[in-house]
Amino acid sequence: MWVTLLACAGTLAGYAPGESDSDAAAKIIAMERLWSQAYVNKDARALERILDDAFVNIDSDGNLQTKSDLLAEVKTSTTVQFLTESMVVHLHGDTAIVTGVFLVKGVDRGKPYAQRERFLDTWFCRRGQWVSTSGLVTRAEQ
Amino acid sequence: MFLACATTQPGSAQEAANSDIATAVRALEHQWFEAQAHNDNHALDLFIDNDLVYVEYGRLVTKGDYLLRVRSAKPQPTQIVMEATTVRTFGSAAIVVGSYRETGVNNGRAVQKRWRFVDTWVYKKGRWVLVAAAASAVSK
Repeated sequence: MWVTLLACAGTLAGYAPGESDSDAAAKIIAMERLWSQAYVNKDARALERILDDAFVNIDSDGNLQTKSDLLAEVKTSTTVQFLTESMVVHLHGDTAIVTGVFLVKGVDRGKPYAQRERFLDTWFCRRGQWVSTSGLVTRAEQ
Repeated sequence: MFLACATTQPGSAQEAANSDIATAVRALEHQWFEAQAHNDNHALDLFIDNDLVYVEYGRLVTKGDYLLRVRSAKPQPTQIVMEATTVRTFGSAAIVVGSYRETGVNNGRAVQKRWRFVDTWVYKKGRWVLVAAAASAVSK
């Protein structure tokens, strides 16, 4: 797995005092990993802290999901492996965009599945704390 | 629909400011739609951030990739009809969530596809610029 940070010149850093762009990117990447592990561990509590209350997601079937929908989904997750690759963080002041690809493997009603999907998440730094405000997942190379 | 999520000013002042942002961003979304339909790269260049990331048809493209595609696109009988959108503001960012219907022709037959999208706009140097966009096809 590799991670790239792209900080955009001329933006005002909106994150915690003393926090560098690379610090902010590292925090966001760590939370992206927590997010993926939450699905493996069915850990809604971990996801609760990562997502803003106004969070919205669009899944790979084009369904619109709220934070509550995702918390319910993670509790009944069938994911056994969640690998994230090619993550890139783009910082724009108090906003960050993360792009990447994930490979999810699981077993649903006794039937194994594997999906490779591309994602784009938006993060916002509120009072020094990064939270995800939106996400979108789509099948890679649709 | 408009949803305000970040509150740093008194209620009514914040609501008015957010409403103005929603109006400005919706206007830019409309400009984007028109510029793409008319292969107007100059107009697109004005409000697309140089660091744009765009997930289009499952592929990740840059601003350069996108403008090249628009510039070289031949007139196609593709019709896009926008549906409802919501705008949420978070500090210096506005997130637009919505859907649209795309009608094209494949092997002589009209094909319709519905998409849901998320666009992120950021206020930089006195203007709003598009920094991220992505769409996912709605399964039937």
